[in-house]
Amino acid sequence: MNVAFSAPDAAPAVAWREVAVRYPYADNLAVGPVSLEFRKGERLLILGPSGCGKSTLLGTVTGLVPATIPAEVGGEVATLGEPAASRSPAQWSSSVAQLFQDADQTLCGMTVGDEVAFALENRALAAGEIAVRVERALERVGIPANWRIRRTTSLSGGEKQVVALAAALAQEAELFIADEPTAHLSPQAAARLHAVIGEESRTSLVIDHRLDGLIDMIDRVAIIGRDGLLIAEGPPRDIFRIHGERLALEGIWRPLASDLDRLLHGIGIVLEPPPLTLAEIIAALDRLSPGDRSAAGTVIRHFLSDRIAEPVPPIGEALVTLDRAACAPLFAKPVLHDVTLQIRPGETIALLGHNGAGKSTLGATLAGLLRLRGGTRTGPAGGFAFQRPETQFTEASVRAELQSILGRSSIHVDSLLSAWRLEKVATQHPFELSQGQKRRLALAALTADKRWPFLVLDEPTAGLDAAASDEIASRIAKIASAGRAVIVITHDMDFALKTCSRGIVLHDGSLAADAPLRDILRDHQLLGKAGLYAPELLRLADWMETAPC
Amino acid sequence: MLSALHPLPKLIVCLVWLAASIAVFDPRFQAGIIALAALTLIFIERRSPLLVLALMVPFALFGFGFLTTATLFREESDFATRMAAETPFGSPAFSAGIVLFLRAIACGMVSAVFVLTTEPGRFIKALMANWRLSPRIGYALFSALHLVPDLASEAQQIRLARAMKKGRAPRRIPGPLETASLVVPLLAFAIRRANRAAIAMEARGLGAGPARTIVGAPRSGRAEAFFVVAAFAILAMLFIATSGVRRAW
Repeated sequence: MNVAFSAPDAAPAVAWREVAVRYPYADNLAVGPVSLEFRKGERLLILGPSGCGKSTLLGTVTGLVPATIPAEVGGEVATLGEPAASRSPAQWSSSVAQLFQDADQTLCGMTVGDEVAFALENRALAAGEIAVRVERALERVGIPANWRIRRTTSLSGGEKQVVALAAALAQEAELFIADEPTAHLSPQAAARLHAVIGEESRTSLVIDHRLDGLIDMIDRVAIIGRDGLLIAEGPPRDIFRIHGERLALEGIWRPLASDLDRLLHGIGIVLEPPPLTLAEIIAALDRLSPGDRSAAGTVIRHFLSDRIAEPVPPIGEALVTLDRAACAPLFAKPVLHDVTLQIRPGETIALLGHNGAGKSTLGATLAGLLRLRGGTRTGPAGGFAFQRPETQFTEASVRAELQSILGRSSIHVDSLLSAWRLEKVATQHPFELSQGQKRRLALAALTADKRWPFLVLDEPTAGLDAAASDEIASRIAKIASAGRAVIVITHDMDFALKTCSRGIVLHDGSLAADAPLRDILRDHQLLGKAGLYAPELLRLADWMETAPC
Repeated sequence: MLSALHPLPKLIVCLVWLAASIAVFDPRFQAGIIALAALTLIFIERRSPLLVLALMVPFALFGFGFLTTATLFREESDFATRMAAETPFGSPAFSAGIVLFLRAIACGMVSAVFVLTTEPGRFIKALMANWRLSPRIGYALFSALHLVPDLASEAQQIRLARAMKKGRAPRRIPGPLETASLVVPLLAFAIRRANRAAIAMEARGLGAGPARTIVGAPRSGRAEAFFVVAAFAILAMLFIATSGVRRAW
C-alpha cells in the first residue's frame, strides 16, 4: 500500500480507497471494495447487518488486518494522514485507541489498575503521568476507586467491558475506535460511553447496534450491506430518511424515531428536520395542527402497540419457584440472597440490573443449572441461552447443529435456517461464524427445542442486527403464546419493553423490584438506584396519554 | 506478612532453602525445614493447619515413591544408603528412604510458602522490572494466568450446555468419555482466546518501542534485607543444631 495522501493537517482521520479484504481460504470478500473517509473531529458510525465485514474494515485502520490477522487487503488505507501500513499496529496505539467487541477475552492485566495502565506503560510514559490518566479514566467511566486492586478475573462480562472502556479512554488518543462497545453494557454505563463519544473535538469511529442515545452524537453514518459494499454515507438525518426502507429490508438497525418518521411520512406528515430521537418527534408533534396530530396519533398508537408488550395476568401453576434462594456462580460465593419468586406459564419477564448485579447467575439458577447455596428451588429445568453462544455448539456444521434438535430428516431445518438467515452458512462449522451469526444459531436451536417449559435468554440481542433482533422478539411472543415462559436478561430497554410484560430488577445482592415492566420503567428512583434508564418509547407513550389526539 | 515482601528476595531465599534441603542428607534437617515452613504458614500467614496438612499430601505421596524405591531396590540407591548409614532408623536403606521422603515434603513446603505468599502479578512485574523478563513473555504469563480459571469456567459452561441439551443434570465429576469430548472445544477456546488477547495487546502497544514503564512494580527495602538475613541465619542454625544432634547421637 504505497499511498501518498493529502497534507497531514488537511488529511482525513481515516480514508479507505477501494479497500477489499479477503481472508485466507475464503471464496468471497469479507468486505469491499469500499471507498470512504471521515475528517478529524468527526464521529462516524458504521452500520450493517452482522457478518457484513464492519469489524474487518475497522481492523484495517491500524493494520491489524493484515499484519496480525492474516488477510489479503486490496486498495489503500490511510490513518491520520499516513498509510496504515507505515507503522506496526502496536505503534499506532499512541494515536489510536481501540475498544474491542469482546472485552472478556482481551484483558491482559491482573488488576483493574494494571489493565487501564497497560497501553500507557507500553508508551513508556512517566509513572506519575500514568497515575493521573488512570485516575481520570476510571472516574470518567464511573469505576469506584476500590476497584483498582480488583482482579479482572473476578469481574462480570459487563464490568470487564467498562474496564476495557476505561483502558481505551486512558490512552487519550487522537482517534477512538469502538466495535460494538455497548453490547454488554448497562444503560448507565452505555450513557457514559455515549457521553465520551459525544465530547467535542473527539474523533470517533464506532460500530454499534444500540443507536438510541448514541445517534444524536454522530456526525456521519456509513451503511454497509450484506454483500460488504457501501450502500450509503452521509449525515444521519438524511441517511435514515432517504434509506430507511432499504435499511429495514437489509435488517440494519435504525433509530426508533426514524422508523416512526417513516410511518408519519407515509400519511403525508413530513417532520423537518428529519428526527433522530423520539424527543424531537414529540416536539415536532406539538407543533402540528389538530387534524395532523389526530392522524399522527393513530399511527403512533399502532407504532407503540408493536413495541410495547401488553401486560399478561399470571395464569396456571408456577413452573418454577425460588424460595429464599441464595444464588452463586460456579465456584464462587453467593451474589444474591433471599430471592423469592415464581415463574408462570406464558409469562415474559425482563431480568434487569447493572453490570455485575447477578442477572446471569439468577437466570442460570432459575434454569436449574446452578446449585443453590441456601433456600429452595422447585420445578423442572429450563433452557438457557448462554452469553457466549459457542458454549452450546456440539456439532460440526450449522445444519447438523439444528438437526441435532429437530431430527436428521426434519423438513423444518431448512425453514429454520432461512428464518434465522443462516442458509448461506449451513455447511460451515459453527465456530467459523461471525458473532451475530453464532448468536442466531444458538437461539435458533434453543427456541426450536420444545422440551423446555421455560427459556432463559442471556443478553440475546448482543451483537445482533435488527432483523435477527426482530426475529427473536417474534419467537418470544410465539413461545409465550404457546404457554411457555421466557426470561430475558438484557440491557436493551427497548427490547425488554417490546418483549416482556413483567420486570425483575436486581440491586445490591437481592431483588429490588418484581412488578409489571411498565411500572418498573416509570419508577425513576428505582431506575436510578439500579443504574437503568427508562426507554425513550415510554416518553412517547406518556405523551400519547396526555396529548389531545 | 511475607506477602508484603518483594517476591525476588523471597524467591532467592526459597531457592537457597531448597538447595540446602537437597544437599543436606539428614532427616532431622528435613523435618526442621518442614516444621519451619508449616509454622510460617500457620502463625505468620494465618493459614489453616488443615490446609497446610493437605498441602503436604501430594508431596508425601511423591516422597513415598522414594521411600519404597530405597527400601525395595537397594542397589539403585547405593549413594543414599551410604549417606544414611549412621541414622537412627536402623536399616540404612530404610533411613535413606525416610530422608528422601522427608526431602520431597520439605521441598514441597518451601515451594508452598513461596506460592502462597506471592501474588502472581507482583512476581511477574518484579521479574520484568528487576530481572529484565521480556514484557512479551511477562504478559503472556499474565494471559495464561487469566486463562486457567476461564478454562475451568468454560469447561463447566460447556458441560452445563450439553447436560441441558441432553435433558439431564450434569454429573458432579465428568467421566472419561465426557472429559475426552471437552478437549477439542476447550482447545479451540484457548486458541481463540490467546489469539484475541494477542491482538488486543498489540493494538494497545505491546512491543511498540524498546522502552517501557512498569507501574506498581514491587520495591525492596529494609524489610527485605532483614528477611534475607533472618532466613539465612535460621537455616544456618538449623544446620548446626541438626549436625550437633547427629554427633551426639
